[in-house]
Amino acid sequence: MTDGKNPIYIWVNEERYEKLKELGLDKHTEERLAGMKVLTVYATNEEADRLVKEFGAKHDTSTTGSIELLPPYLKDKIFDKVVEKKSLEVVSDVLKEV
Amino acid sequence: MAEIGHGGKEIKERIMKPDEAKEKIKGLAQVPINKQIANEIIDISYGWFTPLEGFMNKKQVDSVVKDMKLPDGTLWPIPIMLDLSDKEIADYGVENGKSVVLTYQGNPMALLEVEDIFEVDRTEMCQSVFGTTEEKHPGCHRIYNCKDKFVGGKITLLKEPTINEPFGPYFLPPLKMREVIKERGWDRSVAHQTRNIPHTGHEWLMKGAFFQTHNDLPVEKPNVGVVVNAIIGEKRVKDYIDEAIILCQNELQNAGYFGPHNHLTSLTFWDMRYAGPKEAIFHAILRVNLGITHHMFGRDHAGVGDYYGGYEAHHLLESVRDQLDITPVYSMNWLYCPVCAEITSEGLCNHKDQQQKFSGTLIRSIVTDGVKPPRLIIRPEVFDRAMECANKYGAQNSPFVNEEYLETRTPVFDIEPL
Repeated sequence: MTDGKNPIYIWVNEERYEKLKELGLDKHTEERLAGMKVLTVYATNEEADRLVKEFGAKHDTSTTGSIELLPPYLKDKIFDKVVEKKSLEVVSDVLKEV
Repeated sequence: MAEIGHGGKEIKERIMKPDEAKEKIKGLAQVPINKQIANEIIDISYGWFTPLEGFMNKKQVDSVVKDMKLPDGTLWPIPIMLDLSDKEIADYGVENGKSVVLTYQGNPMALLEVEDIFEVDRTEMCQSVFGTTEEKHPGCHRIYNCKDKFVGGKITLLKEPTINEPFGPYFLPPLKMREVIKERGWDRSVAHQTRNIPHTGHEWLMKGAFFQTHNDLPVEKPNVGVVVNAIIGEKRVKDYIDEAIILCQNELQNAGYFGPHNHLTSLTFWDMRYAGPKEAIFHAILRVNLGITHHMFGRDHAGVGDYYGGYEAHHLLESVRDQLDITPVYSMNWLYCPVCAEITSEGLCNHKDQQQKFSGTLIRSIVTDGVKPPRLIIRPEVFDRAMECANKYGAQNSPFVNEEYLETRTPVFDIEPL
């Protein structure tokens, strides 16, 4: 896994999608099921380690490399930070604030 | 009028009157049991396991393992056994011809009339019931980890369990369930086996089964019911919590996606064995005894891993249909099609390259994040109820089982002192 390419999947419902649309970030979402979309942000390897150690996440290193089982509040915070910064480069900022 | 259950045998509750119970157990050895056995005592005593009157003796077990039948020829796929260690048998003086009291939570629960103490060939049993002898199969694991010996004998419940909130209204033993079905006026009913909170794929499984069951009945009055029968038993980390399963299933009715005229939520205590085809037959027997006329079977019913073919259970059920007083309803998967813009059946929609299938992993991920999905995936009322259950009953506000939930949850039932 190259540095900075550990995906975190953030579920995007209609309400969230509208926010992303306003910011022009809707193009970063991908539809998964019946209109439920997913937004992918990436963590570096160092950030991924911290998410696993401090927040009980699971790093799926064998298949997708994604960070799973993050607490919902942390995922909400990541989404809010995307909206605030209008950027997908938010994991380091979130980790500084928690 | 007698209520007739599986094998043409009358369903009789085996429950002692309180005063009689106190008298009967005087001076008897008291043997503690675990939750699995307590669940099965309830199943035996209320008639879920009709025609069984107790834990199986060796003759019964051998017959089930060898022929999938009880010695009298009645179809039966899974051994129902009480295991005790050699030390327990010696310490409590468990002997053929004697009675002992089985205790749960420190209180007397049932009288066991011991008629047989025996061993079994566990490898042969696993091969017969589960089609494998691998320790990693959860059913085999359970058998291999049973204590030294098995004790057969009739069971009588000494005191009815106290069913704790929120499960009380959903505890409908066979005789009670049959009364409710009569009250609702249903000529036919179809069982939906579940251990999940319902997404719309599940909802349409039930609705499809409703139509399959309704078939040629007149439509002037409601006369078909979907009986959701949740299996409540051993929990594993990442399962949905029991409270969320029951209350979310019932929410489909509360919120009007079904109604009392065609839907009923209920539970059965049972630790899944994941025996696939044989467990499908066992589930059918449970629901025969509940008085249900039809039973849904989807793909890989009661399977685990890749031990069983997708429709192996259907094939085995077909081979014994004449021995089961219930009509199987075979279900295809339901999915979302963006072209049809609706939930549809894989047997109907031909937009094969655009279909979006329901995945348990995906749904769990959405529920874990607590982000309310479109109503076409999970009904908003169901999702809200799942979140409410997470906050009220879950540990760390999770709708999923975790170690803390296992340690701190309120039991589904308690056995109070006599």
